[in-house]
Amino acid sequence: MRTIAVIPAYNEEGRVAQVVRDVLKFVDSVIVVDDGSTDKTADAATKAGAIVVHHVENCGAGAATMTGIEAARRFGADVLVTLDADEQHSPDDIPALLAPIEKDEADIVFANRFGQRNRIPFIRRLFNGIGNIITFGVTGKWVADSQCGFKVFGPKALKQIDLKMSGFEFCTEIVRESAQHKWRTAQVPTKVIYSEYTLAKGQSFANGVKTALKILLRSFIR
Amino acid sequence: MEISLYQLLTPLVAIVAILYAWSLVFRHKKTLWEGILWTIFWGLVAAIALFPSVMTYISSLMGIKNRENAVFITFFGVIFFIVFYLVMRLEELEQKQTKIVRKMALKNSNLGEEAPENN
Repeated sequence: MRTIAVIPAYNEEGRVAQVVRDVLKFVDSVIVVDDGSTDKTADAATKAGAIVVHHVENCGAGAATMTGIEAARRFGADVLVTLDADEQHSPDDIPALLAPIEKDEADIVFANRFGQRNRIPFIRRLFNGIGNIITFGVTGKWVADSQCGFKVFGPKALKQIDLKMSGFEFCTEIVRESAQHKWRTAQVPTKVIYSEYTLAKGQSFANGVKTALKILLRSFIR
Repeated sequence: MEISLYQLLTPLVAIVAILYAWSLVFRHKKTLWEGILWTIFWGLVAAIALFPSVMTYISSLMGIKNRENAVFITFFGVIFFIVFYLVMRLEELEQKQTKIVRKMALKNSNLGEEAPENN
């Protein structure tokens, strides 16, 4: 099975190269979607060995992920791994996430940062908990870590997925897609590394409210 | 006092809207004035939902007969519709823009039929 990783990146010049190098140990190719960065994210990713797809304008993590998914399809991917460019996910967890797909036990695998002992700030746990509840409210499907960007899509999910949401709401949309298409799901505990950098780049309260409202709005107009 | 679901939900929505407006004010994306206006607007919506008799009081205070309350309600309905429509249009435009950016990204990357060889 041809496995491709997609990494949406926005102004991650200092971190994306190491992530690409680490991820390449476990997958056939890495696609970095440079989401309108104003720094040298694209150059750093290219030098590290990634294929870079460049958004001329910053569109959000959801849009960048969907561009990466489309690119991966064109490159004949059978399995797709998505993860963040800020080094919060450990690429060493990729084999564990791939296992349910390889055993044909799941169509999509969600990483679960809360499934093992991780040092996660309380505010992050709270926001993720709220995100999980909202996701459950609009999709009817409970995922222990619905807002995590670390996921693996099997052939069926990769073929069917079609994300419409541009921002961070896409995580909820993926859960909705999995419910709509009745994908078999698996959840695998993973490591998470929260540094001052990743915490600073995280969503603010206002952004969280905006995301929640967009999800609710979308659930009405879809 | 018997409270309906509408009377419960509307103030909650109003609180979220007011919090959001003030978060925008603190991030300098809205002016203080706009923050106050939104607070008054959503405060009124919540007050009318919680105390429907307020409308009667306002109408009697302003010398408007009960029949004219319908005009008020229609007015609010129209405003809500316009806002909802504008939000929808914005969403559509955002999606169109995203689609264009995505297409350009794939086109500019010269993605061919063959698989990449970077590993």
